[in-house]
Amino acid sequence: MKTSRPVAASLAVAGYIVMIVPILFVVATAFTGGSTLRFPPEGFSLRWFEAALAYDPFIDALLSSLQLALLATVLALVIGVPVTLAIHRGRLPGKGLVEGLFLSPLIVPELVVGLALYQQLMIGLRLDNFPVLLIGHTVLMLPYAVRVTGASLALADPGLEEAARGLGASPVRAFFTVTLPLLRPGIFSAGLLSFVTSFNNVPLSLLLQSRDFRTLPVTMLDYVQQSYDPMVAATSTIILAGTVVIAVIAERTVGFARIFGGINR
Amino acid sequence: MVSRRTGLLALPGLALLLAGFLIPSIAMLFAPPGVSPLDIIGRLGRMLTDPYDLAIIGRTVGLGLIVTAVCIVLGFPIAYLLARSTSRWAGVLLALAIFPLLLSNVVRTFGWLVLLGSNGAIGQLLTGLGLVDRAPQLLYTELAIILGLTQLFLPLAIISCYSAVAQVDPGLDDAARGLGASRTRTFWGIVVPLSAPGMVVAATLVFAGSVTAYTTPYLLGGSSQRMLSTQLYSYSSVTIDWAAASATAIIMTVLVFAVSGLSAVVGRRGATS
Repeated sequence: MKTSRPVAASLAVAGYIVMIVPILFVVATAFTGGSTLRFPPEGFSLRWFEAALAYDPFIDALLSSLQLALLATVLALVIGVPVTLAIHRGRLPGKGLVEGLFLSPLIVPELVVGLALYQQLMIGLRLDNFPVLLIGHTVLMLPYAVRVTGASLALADPGLEEAARGLGASPVRAFFTVTLPLLRPGIFSAGLLSFVTSFNNVPLSLLLQSRDFRTLPVTMLDYVQQSYDPMVAATSTIILAGTVVIAVIAERTVGFARIFGGINR
Repeated sequence: MVSRRTGLLALPGLALLLAGFLIPSIAMLFAPPGVSPLDIIGRLGRMLTDPYDLAIIGRTVGLGLIVTAVCIVLGFPIAYLLARSTSRWAGVLLALAIFPLLLSNVVRTFGWLVLLGSNGAIGQLLTGLGLVDRAPQLLYTELAIILGLTQLFLPLAIISCYSAVAQVDPGLDDAARGLGASRTRTFWGIVVPLSAPGMVVAATLVFAGSVTAYTTPYLLGGSSQRMLSTQLYSYSSVTIDWAAASATAIIMTVLVFAVSGLSAVVGRRGATS
């Protein structure tokens, strides 16, 4: 960045400071030897990492979050990819309306959806919180599955499938041998995006927690409110490390900016 | 694959959408258990006249507008510099701007607790430099919420602005400069008007995100700086006042729908003019 545009450059620096510096401070306090969130940290130690890894509520919540994110992602793809096919390849009445309907969970505030599912399904129908969480997260991921794989499908030539059908392949065989491989990058992007979104979600999961099944972000929020020690900083640093791994995988496969920014570079 | 039956593939998805989203949402908004729609309308009316509730709505909308403005003012220059840069560092900086989107909001917001807390870095710095005798109260203020929400939504603003600026032909910049326009005049006369639709999208996303965010007002605003989202949570799980919860949910949803609709109208007008 040359300084030929001093105003733009200083605003840009300010923007990066606001985005990145708080994250660096989390990492710095995670390695403190002291017992408070004081800055500068007192000494260097790994004691808070040991504490976090030995703290059962966090480990249980981590496993719950991973399980939920994985199941919701798979479910959203299994349900969402056929919807994409129906929209782009089928003779669907009111195509635009159907597509809009599947994108609608993106517009309604997640906290409102969470309240609706809590009140109507958990209290009204007395369902356990795990199936309700799974329904909620799957609904929230459907727009990604439909829109991201839809973008791949729009680029794929329907003539290829017709050629396969003309050569005698059944519709199912044509899908698995021709269409699905064409969709692979879209499915991968949608899956990664869904997994991360589900794993990090707070507003939807907030009201849908129970003693037996709680997600990690919600458990961390509760912990911060009760005690003010660096264990959450250590847990955050572990999550940061995991997120960096996912970002690197995304970059090496489909391209980071393309998946998460919708930017073709 | 083009057949009448292909349309049936949308059915499982539609069923999930109806049972797991549309029906529960409509039932919650207009007919919660033991509450008549009239109760909700009454509660909505009182909220829109009561000074305490109005202050919360005002804070939510006000902070949303401030955060939107800050995100555009900081995000557009970043998008502009990155889109126009030929440096190989531009790709790294773009990735650095998008990366926070993948990171948990709890982790990102927690950083401000470390920075703004009573023993936090900023307070220590101010007292250490002798600028103030005692660290000022930074946490649980509107400033803390603005900082937290700006950090959260700046990446979204950058991405939307970046796509818009990248579509503006750099040849136009060169032409304007060649005709004698200053760099500043080229920026305001060419780049900004042509990437305005991207800014509208960015502003909509940031505003809708800010007025519905929960983690940031909860951690950085506490109980002294209530917003619609924290209020909605306490009506649903602390006081269990379904009528108030539905009324708050309606206000929040209408806010988001209104701003999305407005941006669609502005975007269409921009496209036809």
